[in-house]
This record gives sequence, structure tokens and C-alpha cells, in this order.
Amino acid sequence: MTQTAKAAKKTTSAKASATKEAKAKAPAEEKVVTEVRKPAAKKKSALAFPFTSIVGQEEMKLSLILNIIDPRIGGVLVMGHRGTGKSTTVRALAEVLPFIPRVKGDIYNRTVEQYIEMEASGKGAPAIKPEDVKTELIPVPVVDLPLGATEDRVCGTIDIEKALTSGVKAFEPGLLAQSNRGFLYIDEVNLLDDHLVDVLLDVAASGKNVVEREGISIRHPARFVLVGSGNPEEGELRPQLLDRFGLHARIITINDVAKRVQIVKLRREYDEDPEAFMKKVTCDQQKLQKKIVAAQQLLPQVTMDDKVLTDIARLCMNLGIDGHRGELTITRTAHAYAAWEGDTQVTMKHVREIAGLCLRHRLRKDPLETVDAGEKIDRELAKVLGEAEAAA
Amino acid sequence: MIAFTDIVGMDLAKQALMLLAVDPSLGGVVIPSTVGSGKSTLARAFADILPEGTPFVELPLNVTEDRLIGGVDLEATLASGQRVVQHGVLSKAHKGVLYVDSLSLLDSSAVSHIMDAISRRAVIVEREGLSEVHPADFMLVGTYDPSDGEVRMGLLDRIGIIVPFTPVNDYRARKQIVNIVMGTRDEEDTQDELRMLRGLIEAAREQLHKVSMTNEQIKGLIQTAISLGVEGNRVDIFAIRAAIANAALNQRTEVDDEDLKLAMKLVLVPRATRMPEREPNPEEMAQEEPPPQDEQPQDEQPQDEAEEDNAPPDSTDADAEEEQKDEPDMIEELMMDAVETELPDNILNISLASKKKAKSGSRGEALNNKRGRFVRSQPGEIKSGKVALIPTLISAAPWQASRKAEQKKKGIKSTAALIIAKDDVKIKRFRDKSGTLFIFMVDASGSMALNRMRQAKGAVSSLLQNAYVHRDQVSLISFRGKHAQVLLPPSQSVDRAKRELDVLPTGGGTPLASALLTGWETAKQARTKGITQIMFVMITDGRGNIPLGAAYDPTITKAPKEDLEKEIEALALSIQSDGIASIVVDTQMNYLSRGEAPKLAQKLGGRYFYLPNAKAEQIVEAALS
Repeated sequence: MTQTAKAAKKTTSAKASATKEAKAKAPAEEKVVTEVRKPAAKKKSALAFPFTSIVGQEEMKLSLILNIIDPRIGGVLVMGHRGTGKSTTVRALAEVLPFIPRVKGDIYNRTVEQYIEMEASGKGAPAIKPEDVKTELIPVPVVDLPLGATEDRVCGTIDIEKALTSGVKAFEPGLLAQSNRGFLYIDEVNLLDDHLVDVLLDVAASGKNVVEREGISIRHPARFVLVGSGNPEEGELRPQLLDRFGLHARIITINDVAKRVQIVKLRREYDEDPEAFMKKVTCDQQKLQKKIVAAQQLLPQVTMDDKVLTDIARLCMNLGIDGHRGELTITRTAHAYAAWEGDTQVTMKHVREIAGLCLRHRLRKDPLETVDAGEKIDRELAKVLGEAEAAA
Repeated sequence: MIAFTDIVGMDLAKQALMLLAVDPSLGGVVIPSTVGSGKSTLARAFADILPEGTPFVELPLNVTEDRLIGGVDLEATLASGQRVVQHGVLSKAHKGVLYVDSLSLLDSSAVSHIMDAISRRAVIVEREGLSEVHPADFMLVGTYDPSDGEVRMGLLDRIGIIVPFTPVNDYRARKQIVNIVMGTRDEEDTQDELRMLRGLIEAAREQLHKVSMTNEQIKGLIQTAISLGVEGNRVDIFAIRAAIANAALNQRTEVDDEDLKLAMKLVLVPRATRMPEREPNPEEMAQEEPPPQDEQPQDEQPQDEAEEDNAPPDSTDADAEEEQKDEPDMIEELMMDAVETELPDNILNISLASKKKAKSGSRGEALNNKRGRFVRSQPGEIKSGKVALIPTLISAAPWQASRKAEQKKKGIKSTAALIIAKDDVKIKRFRDKSGTLFIFMVDASGSMALNRMRQAKGAVSSLLQNAYVHRDQVSLISFRGKHAQVLLPPSQSVDRAKRELDVLPTGGGTPLASALLTGWETAKQARTKGITQIMFVMITDGRGNIPLGAAYDPTITKAPKEDLEKEIEALALSIQSDGIASIVVDTQMNYLSRGEAPKLAQKLGGRYFYLPNAKAEQIVEAALS
């Protein structure tokens, strides 16, 4: 019996009894019945259009990549016109993501440290030595949260099957567990039910999912990069949720004929024979993946002058942005961007490139404002830079 | 059952369905048409021309979420003690057709699920302990009557073909329909024709890969999409597929002008957001809705200075125009040809059709057990709602030992691990989506002088800002000239309301009665979608001078004052008795006032504000109280 199982079992009232639970879907990989059900092996990763073949929409692609380099940036919200490849791009992301180590078979994708901390903290639990824990490499998980998901599947809940067959209360982890240390993607995020939004806000803020329902009490890490996409014309996003996203990429219909012809051609080629197409781009995909990993490794060495930080703070102040999340996001994103560019020193040049992404959604919302948020940021940025240059 | 080949008229719709049969990756066909045009008959007959064994699933309008995407089959699960999965309607349509009649009446959560399924070609079920992926690659065939409301753009965007709106069949065609229904046609002929058609489609499917298309042709379609202001890039692919499918259907290996023209007609033109113009013009946003044909002021001052300075230049539009110059002449001509014959009529027809009386089908109290947000569970019968599984199990749990003992005593052998009695069953209670729909009716007639229009816009903006915070829905109706116009159907997009308001043209008469009618219809449509709280915010001087009939009959321009008042009174009474709250914001200058606006407020049983005095906050407060 795994340690995780014990943790879950603490909360159960009845004793586990091995029953005819070997269902087709749940691979019973251990002889002893575990209390935490593994999710059905379901994601037969359907072929997705490759990331490197997506034409244009650089803003969205960059924001996703920056979030891979540093997940602490806090995710990205992609809003824009219909049919511009929002969800295609996000779903393509999975293929270029690097690998992470986790405790072998751990449903929460925990690192060894997280695992030990959680499993060994209970009273009476035996100490676990790091060297006893087996690990494995998995690609950074990308979990798709469909609109119709019910709260119990998102947070995890009592394993109904087990309750029915053996009368045992067991915890069945939800999508939040699967998305720990990965990406959680919500298409049409502006149409998500309010109660699910509440849940997400809660978990995103604490990095922990706490389940206290139907007689189950469990907490597990759920730290994910939130990626949302939608079309603003279909409805607005709740301000609290908007604030949660680190970056806000905007995406509009490409009106360049040559580019559109290229999009159409690539798409048709892909539709004709997806596998052959994927083979053709493997090299590009791997190159991108390598560049991302290189940036990740460079990131700890990237530094930033206090002067740049002062300029960032002044920019946020001039724009009247509440709280400090603006500065924080710019700082992190600028570091990641510098690493992506192969630089070890953050300059205002980097900041200029990413300021719009970081701040666009943090400006005070005035539905009647006619000035575009991007323009406003550019203007203030120029002012700050001008001042900086004059002072120098 | 009437066969596909027997259906007369609606040639374009038939052709569209045939293209879809040839290339299912077109995604689907949407047919907007008026009642009784035979659109549903045609859609159902679509099955005739598909290869045998193709699933054809009709989606009931009142479908519940779990029936739509699938879930646990509760009765079977409880009976067997094993989890039994029930596939939803969407996955049942896999590799076949999903047919929706009255697509515009489908509630928004169902529309979202359909959109999601189309984009993934699968349904992801993450519900009630289930986590599965069911394939759902289907063609969507939808019909609707535009007077019931419009279909959500997000959904239309994922469907390849939209048949241009055809209001009425001509009488000859109708006669023939009657003949068919009366059974005067030979059954054998029909079968032969169908067989031929199926053969044709099969041949075309094989031909599909052999059809080639030149770069110029692809460019031409894309160019057209750009100059029509079609949003998104997805549509390019659909247009190309449609052109190729048509070439294949005609057993050609090269796409020709006819194919291109058809693709423009069926794919691009119905999504146009503007008329293609040779000269770029930043005021184009106003063209999204056609201006009333009659621009002359009726009996008021001409309004030349109509709000020119408020229209913001639209950056996307400007970008689009830049590319226009260097396109091949041939393609442009072709496009103008396709567009000019289709576009003006098409758009005008739709906007006229929506003036007709809409049916309102109230679904009443049942809503509480089926839709909205799950709040709590309560005892009830399995049949009367959705079962709340976990509370049911919990209430059954304590009795297991005694029930098993009892069964044993009675000699009943049961393999069920759990014995659930009727009393244990708990059903879910839902709460309707709260929030109010604010229908703004803005008088844009000539009597709204510029200054007052600005004030009115200011008042509306405060309310919009508030609506944004409270996540209410807003709808915007303007009235000027001959009739009122829905500028923005109920939506949460405050942005759009703001944009529409910014470019609102003024001038012309005051069709107050038409405004009330349009508002009432919008309200009724919203009610069918589960919005219960509705408030009219009327910004007007209350001096209606255009009768209702003017919207339909160009010869009517005036009516006696008593008649006008009667119309308004009748409408106001109906609106009031429908439980719709109202606020009238009077924009009249004091010295001109004859007290029309207060009277209107009285008739509507609503509150009255005099704009020049009223502060925006007061109006907001009144609207929210």
C-alpha cells in the first residue's frame, strides 16, 4: 500500500477490503488495493497541430513559452477573435514541454520533497528516506478543464464506484491533482460557471486543494499554470479571475493575405496526413524544446539592476495599478524573457517587450475608455524611459 | 416521410447539404428560414443522401447537460452495483449528423458544449466521478427561425456553411410541396432519384482528393474574407473546402469560378460584418447593422452633426483595407458579384424578419430541477429531477446492515452491495442564473439634439459599468426613422454595448411603439433562456410619432395622435403585466416638455427621471433597487 493511500485512508471510516474492483478502466497496478484510484488511462494523446507550425500570433506563443520557463509568472489569458487558433496553440503546447521528475506513479505529480513532507507529516507515520522513493520523468502535464466539468471531478471526491461496490469511502483525485506542477487549460474561460471559478481562485491563491466534503477530508498540492482562452464578445471575465492571470495576450484575426495563405496551406497539409506532417516538423519541435530547456537553465543566473526595478515600479505607479502584482509579474516575466533571449542581464529593452502582456488587464477597467490599454502602457513606458535617459 | 429529392425550393440549402455530404469536414450547415418553409423537413431528409448506417441524432431543445455529454447511468448503476456509463447525445452522433431544430433557442450552456465538442471532435466527460473521452466527430445541421433570435457567433464560426436567409418560398414551389404531401408523386421515382443522388455523392467523395486549386484562387477567397470583415482565420479553410467539394460534386478536377462564387455565397458572405467598400472609411462600424433605408428626417430638424466625432477609428478595419490594392481584378469582380447579389437583401431580410412577432415558450417551473447552479439536494423521486448521487448514498449508508438482515429474513438473495430504498433518493435543486437583463432603449431620433445624446450616453455608460461589475446582461436597442433596431442582443459584453453606443447615428422620426415592441420581444426571448429579471431603461423624450406599421409598410409614415397613443398604451400595459420593470429617463428640454415621458413612465408602471437634473448615480441606484 502506498503512502498516499494511507493518507487518504486516514479519512475513511470503513476498512478497505479487496473486492472485485479490478475494473477495466482502473489499472490495478499493485496487488494491494490502493485507496486512491488512479485516473483511467484516458488521454490517448490525440494528434495536435504542431506548435512550431502555427503562423503568427507571436504574443500568445511568447506568453506561453515564458510561462514554461518560469511557471511563477502566473499563467496567461488569451482573449481574442474567434477562429484565430487560440485553443489550437494551447493544445499544441504539450508536445514541446520539457520533462519533470515526480515520485513514481504519484497522482499528484509531487517531487520527492513534497511527497515526503506530505506523507511523513501525519502522526505515527514512519519517516521516509529520499533514497527509498522511486522517481520517474514525465512531460509537464497539460490538463484540459472542460466547461461541463462538475465540481467533484475538478476537486476530487468520494470514489463512487468503491462506495457502491464495497461501501468504502475513498478519495478519487480530480483534475486539480492531475494538473499539479503542470498547466491547467480552460477554453472559453469567460463562460465557466461561477462556482468553478470560485474553486479555481481559491486553489490558485493557496496552491493547495482542500477537499472537505461528503465525509472526506484531504489536502494536496495543486500548483498549476492557469491558461485560459476566450472571446470577449461572448462575455466578460470576472475581475477577480482576470487578476489571477499573470499575462494577458490578445489575439486578432490575421489580415495579411500571404500569412493566411500559409496558414491554410499548412493546415491542409496537416489534415491530409497528420502523421507525415508531424514527422516533418519533429526537428523544429525538438529545437524549440531545447531552447526552452536552455532558457530554464539560464534563468537562475539572470540578474536585474535596481535601477530597472525602479523604472518598473514607476511605470506601474504612473499607470495607477493597484497592488504589487503588476511589478512582480513584470519582474518575473522580464527575467524569463531575458533568459529566452539568452541574456543574463534584464534591461528596459526586455521590459518594453513584455510590459503590455503583464499590465494590459491590470489597468483600471473603464468600459467607456476609448484609449486602448496597450497604447496607454506604451505611452507611459516611453515617459519612464525618457525620464531614465534624461537622468542618465 | 418526405424524401430529399422531393423537396422543392430551397435550392441553396439543398446544395449546401450536398456539399456537406461530400465533405463532412465542412463541419455542418445552418439554415435560417421562416416558419413553414420546410427547413426542418429538408434537414431531416438529409439522412437520405448519406451512406447507409450514418447516425442521425436529433437534439431535443430541452436537453440536460448530462444527457448531452453523457454521465453515469444512475438506474443501471444502482441496479448492478457497477458503474454504468451512458454516452451523451453528442457522442451518439459520432461519424454522423447532429440535427438541431431551432438552433437559436438552445440554451447557452448546451451551445458551449456543442462548440467544445466540435473543436475537440470529442466529448470530455469530467462529471460525477467519471473521467472519460468519447469521440464525437459529427456534422451539425441546424435550422432556426431568425425571429426567435440569433445563434451565437462562436457556434456559427465552427460550422462551415451558413445558407443565406430565404424568407418565403414562392407559391409555385409551395403548390408542389402540397402535391408531394398529398402523395401524387411516384414512390419509385423518388427511390430512383435518391439512389442516383447517393451515387453522385459517393463518386464526389472519391473525387475530392483529386481536385486542385490554384494559389490565386486561395488568395481570392482569403481576400474576400478580409474585405468582408469576417472574423477569424478558420473560415478560410471552410471556404476552400466548400469550393473543392462543389468541384468534386461536378466531377471536375479543378476549381472554377462557379465553385468560388458558391463558396463565397455559402461560407463568407453570411459572416460579413461590413459591406466591401473600395474606399476605406473609419465609420464602417456603423454598417454592421444596415441603416434604415429611409434616412430623411420625418418631421424634425435635420441632424447633420450626428455624432461624427464619437466614432473611434477601428484599427482592425484599417489594417484590412491596406491589403486591398493589389488583388487580381478577376477575383474582385467575382467577389463583388457574389456579394452584391447576396449581401444587401440578406442582411435586410434578417433584420426585418426579427421584427415579426416572436413566439415565447415559457418552460416554467421545471427549470428548477434541471438547470442552473446546483445548490443543494432534497428528497424527491428519481423521475422528477437529477439525482444527487452522493447525498443519496450517504442517506442509504446507515441502513445497510438492517436492510440486509431484513432481506435475509425474507429469504431474498441479493448481490447488490448497497440496498437503496425509495426514501433515500435525493434530487438536486438548482438555482437559476441570477442577474438582471438591462434592455437599453435609446431614442436616436432627430429630436435628440447632440448635447442630450451625450448626456444620455453618459447615463447609459454608468449603468453599463455597473452591469459589468454585477455581471448582469445588457442589450441595446436604438430607435430612429421607421423602426427600432436591436444593436446588441442580450450579452454580457459591455465592450460591445459601448462600441455600438459610440457609433450610434441619430436623426429621423421617433418610432416609440416599435421600440417597445422590439424590447418586449427581446425580453421574451431572454425569458426562454432562463433570465427572469428584466428591466427596460428607456432614454427618450417620449414623443413617439411613427406608427408601428411603418416598419413593414413603406407607405405608412404618419398616424393620428390618438392612434399612436393607443399603440403605445397597449404595448406598455402588456409589458407591465409581463412583470418587466422600467425606468424612463426623460431627455426633453424643459420649455418644450409636454409631459410625454412621465406619461410613458406611468403607463409602463416604471420610474421617471428627468435627465438634465438626474445624476447618473441616481439612475443607477434606481435601476438596482
